[in-house]
Amino acid sequence: MHLVDTVEVEPEHVDRYLELVSTLGMAVMTGAGASFVSCATTPGDVGERQHIQVVWAFDDFVHWNEIRKNMVLDPRYHEYGGTAASLRVGGTRRFFVPVTLSPSL
Amino acid sequence: MLRRFEVYALRPDSPVDDVRALEMACRRCGRFIPEVLDCAVGWNLSDAPVQLVWEHAYQSPEAYRRYMVHPYHAVVMDRYLLPDSPQRIVIDGPLGAGLYGYACDTPSYRMRGGTRRLVLLRIDTKASGADVARLRDELERAPADAPGMVVSVMAANTMGAAWFDGVTPVMGPPRWTHVWEQGFATRDALDSYRQGASTMAGVERAGWDRGTGGIVTRSAELFYELSGD
Repeated sequence: MHLVDTVEVEPEHVDRYLELVSTLGMAVMTGAGASFVSCATTPGDVGERQHIQVVWAFDDFVHWNEIRKNMVLDPRYHEYGGTAASLRVGGTRRFFVPVTLSPSL
Repeated sequence: MLRRFEVYALRPDSPVDDVRALEMACRRCGRFIPEVLDCAVGWNLSDAPVQLVWEHAYQSPEAYRRYMVHPYHAVVMDRYLLPDSPQRIVIDGPLGAGLYGYACDTPSYRMRGGTRRLVLLRIDTKASGADVARLRDELERAPADAPGMVVSVMAANTMGAAWFDGVTPVMGPPRWTHVWEQGFATRDALDSYRQGASTMAGVERAGWDRGTGGIVTRSAELFYELSGD
């Protein structure tokens, strides 16, 4: 299953946010047991704030419980969270579970 | 049983709708996770710089562990709480980690309404077991000469360090070593206790120096009107 964080940032903060995810975020999340899936942004230079979507994967909520424990006990996690909060103006967090889609008849 | 409190200091600029959503998520938790018992929330009325309190309980550590892995916990509750969540509306608590609780044999904390008071205690680590037991006995006998106090439970704050499975500490000793949970039928009853002539009210007014052997080195209080689901 996937954890999908979508944050809204001012265009001038996009690079810093991506750097944060690729360094501290990557170290904390993968160190805690999550797998990195993807990162993408909405296009810039359109006169709007941009959205950054970061996706992490893990097995299930039992696995997530272990990841959460490992994150909370890692001092870097709190630095990561604080810095991320200072760079974003909003966002959402959602968990997604896979489904089996039947082909249409 | 495990008795547990989560105490939240809210970000001052949190959207009102998100604050209400967190409050409702706490209050309704038992609807979605049946292992969560005696769910109630309250808005702190003391001077302590925290706002929302969520009190609840579990029948056993096994029940607590089911709560920990339940989707409602991760998807709904943690959305507003975890440090890296884009929807976080809390700040790191000035009272230390905002999780307190204790193990108990029966739900002697239970009351259907009224005013809850939670006194966080830091007891000298050098205090003997006998001294701590004597203090506990005195605190739990407090209702005998404080008629408005209908609940009085004092216990070691085991949940502060054993938050992962309810039993095993995963971090060092908590800042607040013990909790003294009280209940009053009304806010007036609480005020009467605080201003009254009971032994423990006097001890509290004296800053815990009198009659406790000096083993309480610090305290903080929260109190709130109970609001259940």
